[in-house]
This record gives sequence, C-alpha cells and structure tokens, in this order.
Amino acid sequence: MNQFVLQHGKSAELLLFPHIQELGIKKNGSIQLNAFFTTLTEGLRIYYIIEGRFEWRINHQSYIYYPGDVALILPGTPFGSDNGVLEIGSYTWIQLALHRLDNGHIQPGKWSGLSESEAAAIGKTLLLNSLPVLSRFSEVGKILKCIHAELFGNEVGYQASINHQLDELLIQVARKMTKQSHANRDFPKTFMHLEEVLRQDLAHQWTVEEMAALVGMGTTLFTEKVKSYSGFSPINYLINIRISEAIKLLKRPDITVTDIALDTGFYSSQHFSTTFKKLTGYRPSEFRKNHLRNK
Amino acid sequence: MKCIITIELGTNGVRVFAFNLSGRVIGSMKGYFPTFHTEPDHSEQDPEQIFITTLYVLKNLLNEYIPPKKYTVACICFSASMHSVLAVDKYGNPLGNAITWADNRAKKEAQELRCSPLGKSLYAATGTPIHPMSPLVKIAWMKNRDKDRFRLASKFLSIKSYIIHQLTGEYKMDYSIASATGLLNIHTVTWEADALQYAGITAARLPDVAPVFTSAGKLKKAYQQSLRLPPETKILLGSSDGCLATLGDGVKGIGKATITIEDSGAVRVMGPTVLKDEQMRFFNYLLTDDCYVSGGPTNNGGNIFEWFSRQFGEFTNPFDMENSLQQLIEEASKVPRGSDGLLFLPYLLGERAPIWNANARGMYFGLNIKHERKHFIRATIEGILYEIYSIGKTLGEQRNIKSLSVNGSFGTIPFCTQMIADMFNKPVRVRQQYHSVSFGAYLLSATEMGIYKSLDEAAQTVELPDVYKPNKQHHAVYADYFTIYEKLSVKLAEEFEAISSLQQKYVITEAPAKESKVRGNKKVKQEVKSKR
Repeated sequence: MNQFVLQHGKSAELLLFPHIQELGIKKNGSIQLNAFFTTLTEGLRIYYIIEGRFEWRINHQSYIYYPGDVALILPGTPFGSDNGVLEIGSYTWIQLALHRLDNGHIQPGKWSGLSESEAAAIGKTLLLNSLPVLSRFSEVGKILKCIHAELFGNEVGYQASINHQLDELLIQVARKMTKQSHANRDFPKTFMHLEEVLRQDLAHQWTVEEMAALVGMGTTLFTEKVKSYSGFSPINYLINIRISEAIKLLKRPDITVTDIALDTGFYSSQHFSTTFKKLTGYRPSEFRKNHLRNK
Repeated sequence: MKCIITIELGTNGVRVFAFNLSGRVIGSMKGYFPTFHTEPDHSEQDPEQIFITTLYVLKNLLNEYIPPKKYTVACICFSASMHSVLAVDKYGNPLGNAITWADNRAKKEAQELRCSPLGKSLYAATGTPIHPMSPLVKIAWMKNRDKDRFRLASKFLSIKSYIIHQLTGEYKMDYSIASATGLLNIHTVTWEADALQYAGITAARLPDVAPVFTSAGKLKKAYQQSLRLPPETKILLGSSDGCLATLGDGVKGIGKATITIEDSGAVRVMGPTVLKDEQMRFFNYLLTDDCYVSGGPTNNGGNIFEWFSRQFGEFTNPFDMENSLQQLIEEASKVPRGSDGLLFLPYLLGERAPIWNANARGMYFGLNIKHERKHFIRATIEGILYEIYSIGKTLGEQRNIKSLSVNGSFGTIPFCTQMIADMFNKPVRVRQQYHSVSFGAYLLSATEMGIYKSLDEAAQTVELPDVYKPNKQHHAVYADYFTIYEKLSVKLAEEFEAISSLQQKYVITEAPAKESKVRGNKKVKQEVKSKR
C-alpha cells in the first residue's frame, strides 16, 4: 500500500471514527532533517516498523526500533527524534483517543466492545507496564493493515469491523506488555510485583480480572497460582493487605476511621468495620482506643 | 477430643498445623507474607501483615477442622525463624518494619566486630556467630545509623514476641530465639553485659527470657471470641524453627545429626555441651537449660537450584516450577556421578558455614569440550550438596556422627537424599510428607502436657521409616571430587573479594520499591487539613 495520512477533522474517511485521531503509512527513501520533531499528544500512539531502523526518543529516553517492533507512546508522553531526523525505512501508525478518568486511569470510549472491567484492566496494564519497545510483534502490523483495508474498502459492516480491530489491537498490546515484562518462570517475582502495585493504589476497587491482567495471566490460572502460593484467594489476599495497612493507620491519631476505610479500599466504614471485626475481633474504633491509650 | 495447634512463623509465611494428642496431623494451612527489599541490603517484613495473616490462617484452620471434627484446642505452640528484630515504642506499636535474618545492612558492624577480641569473647559467651544476621549487630547498626528509631524504641522484640504480645499482651522471648540474638549468655542464660553494652542498650529494652515450655499468658478476650477458643487455652512460647526441626527429627541423643535443606540449609546436632570453635564457624542455640542445638547454616540450598531452573529449565506450563525441577532431576540422573569432572561452587548468595565469606561467588570449574547442558544440571545439585557435606565434615571433627536424617523440600527429593547418603557414606533417614518443625512443636507441647515425661522420651518416639543406604563406590567418586571442591572454596578468597567489589562498582541495582501510596496520600491530606 502507498503512503498516506488521515487526520481527525481533516479526512472524510474518519468521520465515523472520531476516536481515531491519526492513521497512516510512511515510506521514507532518504534521510530527512526537520521531519520528525518531538511532539506531545493526548492520544495513545502505536507505531509499527515495516522496514529500516529508527532511533526515537520516548520521554527523553532513546530507543532503537527494527522491523517487527512496536513503539508505544502513552498519552502526554513526548515522542520524536533528535533534531527531527527521519531515517530511511517505512512504518505504519495510529493515534487513538482514550478517555482519561478522574483517577488518572485511561480507558477506551463508547465505541469499544470491551466490558467495563476488561477495559479498566487494559487501561491499567498500559499505564503500569511502561514498555516503549515491544519486540517481534507482527500482530500489530496485521491489525493496522486490516484497518486500512476496511477503511478504504467501505464494505458492509466496516464500521463495526474497524472498532473490533481497535479492541483487538488494545488487547494484543496489553497481553504482549505483560508477557514481555513477566517471563513465565518466576511466580514469586511476579507476585511481588503485583503486591507492590496493589499497595500503591489500595483505594482502588481491584477486580480479579484486573489483577490477573496486570501480570499477564488468565483469571483461572492466576487464581489457582495465587491460592497455591499464598494460601489465599486473590481477593482474600488483598483484604489481608488492606487490614494490615488499616491497622497502621488506626494507630495514628490524625485520620478518621471513615478516611481509613476509603483509603484502604473498603467501600464504606460499615464494610470496613465488619471485615475488621471478623478478622481481629475488634471494631476499628475499639482497636484504636486500645492502641492510642495514654496518647 | 483435645488437640494441639502449632504456629510456625517462617521466612515466607506462616504455617499452622493441628495435631491430635498422639501426633497425627488433623489438618494444616499456610499463608504467605512478603519480604520487602527497599534498599539493596535490606530485608524487611511488615509486622501487622504477619499478624493479620497469622490470625486469618489460624481462624480458617480452626473453622475447618476443629469444631466440625469435634476437637477442642488444648494448647497453641509457637515456632519462628531466628534473628529478627522489631523495634516498638512504649505503647508497643512498631517503629517501622521488622528486620529479618536475611538482612545485610549491618555488614560493616559485623565485620569489624568479628575481627576484634570482643567479637571472639562475645561468640564464646553467646553462641551466635558474628554476622549481619545477628540482632546484636542489627541493634548496634540502629544505634549508629537510625538514631531516631533507636531512641524511640522502648523494646527490641523478635517477630514472634510481637505476635505473642498482640495476642496476650505479654513481652516474652523463649530461650531458643533469645540465644540466637547474640545478646544472651548461653551458659548462664542471662543477657550478656558486654553484648548489651556493645549494642548500647539495657536488659530492660529486651523482652523477658523464659524457657520454651513457658505459658505466654492468656488470649485476650476479643481473640477468644473471634477464634472461638476457650479462655483456658494454653499459649506456649515454644522455640525456634532450627531447634524444633532438630527435635522433630528425633535428633536428641549421641551420634545423630540432621540436615535441613529448604531454600537455605543447615546441618545440626543436639547435646548437653556446646561446640567450641576458634574460627567461630558454628552456632550454639539453647533448647532447654541442658540442651544445645549446634551446627552450621548455608545460604545456598534449594533456592540455587530454583535459580538454575528459572534460567535453564524447560517451562512447558507457565510458572510450573515443580514440573521444571522434576524434568531437570530426571536429566541429571542420566549423568554419571561426579558430572564427568564438572564442579560447581554454589555461593550465589555469599556463604555462611563453613567459610563465612559474604563475598564468595558461584563458579563452574573443570569444564571441558564434552560437557553438555545435562552436566551443568547435575553439577549444580552436587555443588549444593558438597557444601552441606562440607559443613557436616567440620561438625564431624567435634562430634562422631553415625546416623543422619534429612528434612526440607529440597533435601527430601529422593535423588538428593541418596546423594547425601553417598557423600557422607552414612545411612540417611527421612519421612516423606512430613514437617519436622511443626512436629517438633507438637513434641514440645505434648511434653509440657505430660504426655511424654521428657523431651528425650518424646524424641525417641520419632519414626523416620525410609532409609537411604550409602554406596561405597559412589562415595569414593564424590570423595575424590570433594577434595578439589574444598580447596577451591577457600583458595579463591582474594578473587571472591575482588569480583564482588567490581560487581558493586559496575552493576546498577534495581530501583527500590515505592512506598505505599496510602501513606503518601495521607500526608497530602493532612497538609490540606492543617491549612483550613
């Protein structure tokens, strides 16, 4: 296919797809200066290398890309090359608008067929595993090619088909990221990584799908492995961490019990109180009274 | 029917067992808790998470096995890993995380003390080798480098003392755990004045020392209710994992030794006298007034074989370590004993006994063009077990060891057990599906309850039915290679130090784990509130 660029607001082809901000193929026969400056966009950018070798900067770090590699640029991340140099070769790319939620998470919009929890899991995976180079990833090239063909073919059902392909693209990228960052050999290490991520955002209403997606496993295998490794189901393990953090906070006089409940991921102080009492024998307020005595 | 509950606070988690009065297992459960490495040499655990996990597992086990099977709990007995330190304020609240045995932050303090005359006399008095693991040097480190925590600390506890304090409100430490702090005189069983002075504390800042049979007080009302346990349930202080594994294998008596190989390993003997050693290679811990558990620990056990498996094993199913290890063992068994002259030094984590060199590093030696992947597999296993043999051999200089028992997940793999028998040229006893530490805690509880007259009598009832007999010819092969192994392990001291300092110079360590966001958020909120 020849090179082209379609842009949101300029190209009629994208009228039905406001979430596709940019889409194109670039074939570059000679080194060009001032052609690839560093830019920052609100969209998620995915570049797939077809030919050549490119040295690009993502978030001020330099990376080298070869054919079959994918460059993944998160929203709000500077991307370009030094002095705007564009090297010889060809690549194809897409820039996709995602919703940014109040808590900073990103999610695909209404066009997506992903369920809410799956969309949240994928958004979290993209944010947390910042991996700018996904190597040997020809699936992305195939999906982008398919989107091009559908967009210019206009056959019946092409709108749905393209949106399916976009979902597929996000799914493949999320899976590849977790697989690339967690070799499937070292469960203790993977579990430790998960533990860290959970502790950093304990207030979030974690689902098993999200946790499993984070470490690149299916929920069935994930639940089984967590159970045999930790002795607890994923959700019970999470409750463990929540209560132990809550205990620490209860020993400080400056935070209300309701704040503690919400900060440690319980949806109400009632829910917190019941869970806490079941495990420790004390209501949070009683526990606090015992430990703040004489202070 | 009455039953006995044992709670083992281990390195990676807690294991709870229920035994009937004759020692049969009614049920068991485990719960994991993590170790945090916020800085390269640090190794910490969250005391609240340990406590909650312990309660949670205990509660689940009680609910599942005790009332449904018409048992009542007569006694709960604790065991724990040694050498942990947790500073608490005057209200008993933790000041930061607990520092575990694997923590190396006090390596400078340890090295200086080990080389000094004071170090020698403290080792003789306390039985604990001078090493970063020792609470003695950890507290000294805090005095020098973490002054606020040191000043605010009303007491320095072990993890077990903290858990017991949560449950009953008493500050107590048993003989075994106390004798592994480097602060207890194991001959007089009192805190050693010179050690206290070195650490910069008084005895009032340590828990009360008590025999392993001591009751740790009554369960608090809330826990009696939430766990549905009667108020008269006895809480026994218990002992350390090392001492109880030795008791659980019935190693009370002359001529017996036990080998534990889990992630790390140890060779231990038990007796009425201590092992004296000019080179300070052995530990001597107390089980009771007249009974010492002595031996040498290694850093490099099953964890080294798992490392090998992660790098070079086949993983047909994702994360299936068991399967990968099994395949490797099968391949190793096809290689002749001695791995056709390929030797492996397993010092990937530095080493404690017998060489006590934190800078020691791993090595394959004797490679020739005919060696294949499978030789590396077998050499790795042989190297781990030569190290165990090496500890056993130094112990053998002081004790005449006639029979051995083996426990721990790596040691009890039949391939490994047979190799141990061949290397030592001695019969080795094991019992499959058996947990020595918990059984030791059962024996201790049963003795306290009067089911056995003494620990001696209790130990004599231990049956280890499977015997691996040594093969003389195999022993000869291993013995030949061991002479080279032993020389290598000491010959390379200079190069070990050189390479480890280069590794520190050029290798960038991973970024430390981030602080939990909950506390981070809190700070911001507080500031906002104070502005209002």
